[in-house]
Amino acid sequence: MDNLGELLHGFTIAVTVPHLALMVVGVLLGILVGVLPGLGAPNGVSLLLPLTFGMQPVSAIILLSSMYWGALFGGSVTSILFNIPGEPSSVATTFDGYPMARDGRPTTALATAFGSAAFGALVGVILITFLASWVAQVALAFGPAEYFAVYFLAFASFVGMGGAAPIKTVVALAIGFAIAAIGIDTVSGSVRLTMGIDELVKGVNFVVAVMGLFGIGELLVAVEEEFHARAVSSKIEWREVFRAIGRLPRHSVALLRSAAIGCWMGITPGGPTAASFMSYGIARRFSRRGRYFGTGEVEGIISPETADHAAGTSALLPMLSLGIPGSATAAVMMGGLMIWGLNPGPMLFVDQKDFVWGLIASMYVGNIVAVVLVLLTVPVFAALMRIPFVIIAPLIVIICVVGAYSVSNSYLDVVMMLGFGIVGYLFKKLFYPLAPLVLAIVIGDKAEDAFRQSMLMSKGSLGIFFANKLVTSLVVGGIALLLLPLVLQLARLFRKPEPPTTETTSQEKVII
Amino acid sequence: MISRRALELATAVLTGSFGVAVVVQSLDNGIGWSSAGVDSGTFPFVIGLVIVLGSLYNLVRGVLPATSLASVPIAITQIELRRLAGLFVPAAIFVAAIPLLGMYLASALYIFAVLAVPRHQSLLRSLAMAAATALALYVVFERMFQVSLPHGALAAAFGF
Amino acid sequence: MGRTSSFLLFALALTGAAPALAAWQPQKPIEFVATAGPGGGTDNIARAVQNIITKYKLTDQPIVVVNKAGGSGAEGYVYGKASAGDPYKVIFGTSNAWQQPLVSKVAFNYTDLTPIAAMAQDEFLLWVKQDSPYKTAADYLKAAVTGDFKMGGAQSKDTDEVLTRMIEKAGHVKLTYIPFKSGAEAAVQLAGGHIDSHVNNPSESLGQWRGGTQRPLCAFSPKRLPQGAKITATEGWSDVPTCVEQGLDIAQYEQPRTVWLPGKVTPEQAAFYVDLMKKVQATPEWKDYIEKSSQIDTFLTGAEFDKFIKEDIEHLRQVASEQGWLIK
Repeated sequence: MDNLGELLHGFTIAVTVPHLALMVVGVLLGILVGVLPGLGAPNGVSLLLPLTFGMQPVSAIILLSSMYWGALFGGSVTSILFNIPGEPSSVATTFDGYPMARDGRPTTALATAFGSAAFGALVGVILITFLASWVAQVALAFGPAEYFAVYFLAFASFVGMGGAAPIKTVVALAIGFAIAAIGIDTVSGSVRLTMGIDELVKGVNFVVAVMGLFGIGELLVAVEEEFHARAVSSKIEWREVFRAIGRLPRHSVALLRSAAIGCWMGITPGGPTAASFMSYGIARRFSRRGRYFGTGEVEGIISPETADHAAGTSALLPMLSLGIPGSATAAVMMGGLMIWGLNPGPMLFVDQKDFVWGLIASMYVGNIVAVVLVLLTVPVFAALMRIPFVIIAPLIVIICVVGAYSVSNSYLDVVMMLGFGIVGYLFKKLFYPLAPLVLAIVIGDKAEDAFRQSMLMSKGSLGIFFANKLVTSLVVGGIALLLLPLVLQLARLFRKPEPPTTETTSQEKVII
Repeated sequence: MISRRALELATAVLTGSFGVAVVVQSLDNGIGWSSAGVDSGTFPFVIGLVIVLGSLYNLVRGVLPATSLASVPIAITQIELRRLAGLFVPAAIFVAAIPLLGMYLASALYIFAVLAVPRHQSLLRSLAMAAATALALYVVFERMFQVSLPHGALAAAFGF
Repeated sequence: MGRTSSFLLFALALTGAAPALAAWQPQKPIEFVATAGPGGGTDNIARAVQNIITKYKLTDQPIVVVNKAGGSGAEGYVYGKASAGDPYKVIFGTSNAWQQPLVSKVAFNYTDLTPIAAMAQDEFLLWVKQDSPYKTAADYLKAAVTGDFKMGGAQSKDTDEVLTRMIEKAGHVKLTYIPFKSGAEAAVQLAGGHIDSHVNNPSESLGQWRGGTQRPLCAFSPKRLPQGAKITATEGWSDVPTCVEQGLDIAQYEQPRTVWLPGKVTPEQAAFYVDLMKKVQATPEWKDYIEKSSQIDTFLTGAEFDKFIKEDIEHLRQVASEQGWLIK
């Protein structure tokens, strides 16, 4: 294994006092931007970028990637504590993380999330270390048809589950698709669905929708129920942090499965968001306690978090070896690489060994630094749950308003966010599921682009989705996942006729 | 008091009219599918139709005296409605005030109003919290991350 | 604002030294609006200019870069239009400032903005997969006659597709154009063999060329690109023949990087930024940026810039009307 030798050499570059100091600074800054919705890793990275031009490229990338780790971890905090996902990839974490925190176990929820996230990232880095060149080849096999098949697979694994009325699920999903289509269409260049509002040409940003649907919507539900979070004990629960981490190995199946899904989606164009949704969907279907998902189930936190970080980490590989950024942050970093005079692409691994292996080694060390720092902050964040609702509610409103505004300095976004808040409340109240809607907003337009690019290539024939083994197996896998719940339901129906499900019984089930 | 049925109907009408808007707008973009590819309106058109049909189904289900709905006649009681308004109305006023007052002043006033007016906190503490909120926003966004939040028409009039 | 500038004019009348047009000075932070996402070419130029200005303290005011990439950049231009009269917003874009309004119903036109300058020209090349049999553009065109060739590019009805249609016309072939989100994506699709060619800028495919996944056939420029460092073991940009040399008669096709102010600003304010950009261009850091991004250094402003836009629109209108893209 020469990779191992290279990695050891990389460690000698990464593990120096100045580099460790840079990692701590980067991670702390990352946690800060990750926790503040509206500011994300791209903000932080693009702000630090100018400061790094005087540094060695390897020091600069270590600082920036540490910030990326910090932001990935920080992004889960608001999802769990306040049901406000700051990034698309932490939406799925809210489904079980928030109920658990509300239930008086914020420490457990946060520690579980961080622990499994660190595991996911570790698997991702190991993959990069040993299979870099193979992974790059796999990514090249994906053309538009395969892209579409991957998105289809992600939808299939997630849709068709949950306790919601099927027609309401369909409506929510379709609304998500329609929202994703607003703005300029990549394939034709024409403007769509702007409803006569000129500014909508930019499209509806995911963060704006989610702050409203989840943040404000949940706040309205909570105030109506006169909700009080189950009292959180005022002692700082260090022991619970370690206990939660110690319990993780019991869920090793979920951890490994989610890491595999994450790596796969990170390398293929699915990305962290699709990965976390898909992992959650599959866990819900195959876990023994799947029925309880949505009520604060441990595996409901482990699955999306592990997959998210595994994908986020392995997404850096296509950036380095192919020059396609797997995420917005990766795009900023790539811009940085070019300014430092490095050209991302296959030759980077040959020309710039010190840089590449220094970076990969720093991923190991940086992640360890990040998880230690972030675990230290758990009790502090958990203490936020003790703030009385009357005080925290207006603060959440302000966070959502500022977050929606800072996405693209637009007042329209703030107004839309408030509108989404009402929709979120109504949907939650009437058992329309929000998850399919959000998934459709995030990857709906990408799926549509890929579909129409495929149609251009095949001159309008659907045969392109069965043209080779790769795309055929993806599509067949997706169809199988879609049909599975139907088949199971039919089988159950034949065994014994069930009493008709009414909305009242489905109230007890949890709609996500 | 708002009944569950009324709420279902209102939501179905809301989603349905969104669907109609989507269908109408996508006709502008063309809805063809030929060997030259798929037109940009095709997909939204289909999606819009799905929304309209789904909403109609939900609407009809809401109108029919289904047993399932009878068991939950009331969705929002008077008192709940008052609590909802208590949160949402100040928030909406806050958002409406941003263009005039700017983010900092508006959020400080908002915090002060929701804490001091219902007497959740003493006047002094409310004042301190309001000031702290605005200051924290300024330091984090304007200074640290150079994200310029709106300063408002009032500030512009005074030449900031 | 009126009071400040008249005061400054008054002060200048007293000293009589500095040129009157440089009279206006910014009094608050300046916002650079990049009409592309982080990491894109337009974002890079905005940040490069920001760094140079900050480094040399060319103005006392801090500069913030904001990305408004929505709607293929339309978001940034619409924002510029909405900020009419505000001299603290500087919009960085490309030729799509006048190209987009021609072909899609975006709510702005370049006339809503105040042109400052075109600062760099990005070149275009015709790229094929490394192991494809074509050695010259003529080989490529001969093979493309079958009509099965797929050309990838960034965005739809934008520079890449316009060039594709020009190639079709000049080479008497029919190509299927597949729009992707960016040139980088098109490059990866070519490396994977999903498309047959693309027309990326040099910087978009430099890494891929070095890595031996794709190679340029010819450059759409009147003369060969300037000599630079070797990219592969044997070749550099200056070794790529021009397309005209190879029998593909498109002598020149370039994409300018453009800088704008919102509409309704005073001539003094515009002059300040023209002057600022000129100062930026004189620095060694700018030369370095131009070289690393493999662009051509130019500076068009005032009447020259206007003339360039008018000519480009004339040309675009022709291509667009042939393709039936013009919006009614």
